[in-house]
Amino acid sequence: METAELAKIQAAKVVDARGTACPGPLLEAKKAIGAVPVGQTIEVWSGDPSTKNDLPRWAAKVGHDYLGALVADGYDRIFVVRRK
Amino acid sequence: MAQKMLIFCGSDEPTKAFPPFMLGSGALATEMELTMFFTMKGLNIVREGGAEKILLPGAPMTLPQFIRTVRDGDAKMIACSAAFPIVGMKEEDLIEGVECGGVATFVIAAQEADVVLTF
Repeated sequence: METAELAKIQAAKVVDARGTACPGPLLEAKKAIGAVPVGQTIEVWSGDPSTKNDLPRWAAKVGHDYLGALVADGYDRIFVVRRK
Repeated sequence: MAQKMLIFCGSDEPTKAFPPFMLGSGALATEMELTMFFTMKGLNIVREGGAEKILLPGAPMTLPQFIRTVRDGDAKMIACSAAFPIVGMKEEDLIEGVECGGVATFVIAAQEADVVLTF
């Protein structure tokens, strides 16, 4: 998804995992996706540079949709849609 | 589909830092897909200037030569960023061609691999 489109997304849940390194952001994402209805989007904030590569792989493996990531000031904003 | 090998590289001790490349280059030669995951002191292998300091007399190649060999064979090289603070490094200290990855990347690669080796 394009940066401009991602920037418009209103996530159902925003998780600030900036204080934690891997596997913290992954575990936060797993918890958050279970807390929103199917079809809704979560936004995970992470300062760990691995997270933007990890979450697309996790989403593909477990059956959610990875939309993309935005670079913010010292962290990444990563968007995933719950699909099951 | 090509068979896959995943190698966990967790040490910069020469007798543990070299075998992943010896076996990994062999895997590439037999047309396997290779992923190497570097964490803890193994990160020193993929730190700028780090491989040059890890010496193993009698090895067929230097570590930088081995790195070039597997990179030329399209090995995927992944650095565990969560361990950066443990060894005192940053993403920008990584040599070219290495990407950051975490637990999800490793676990999924392990699930999909035909062979997993740990050093």
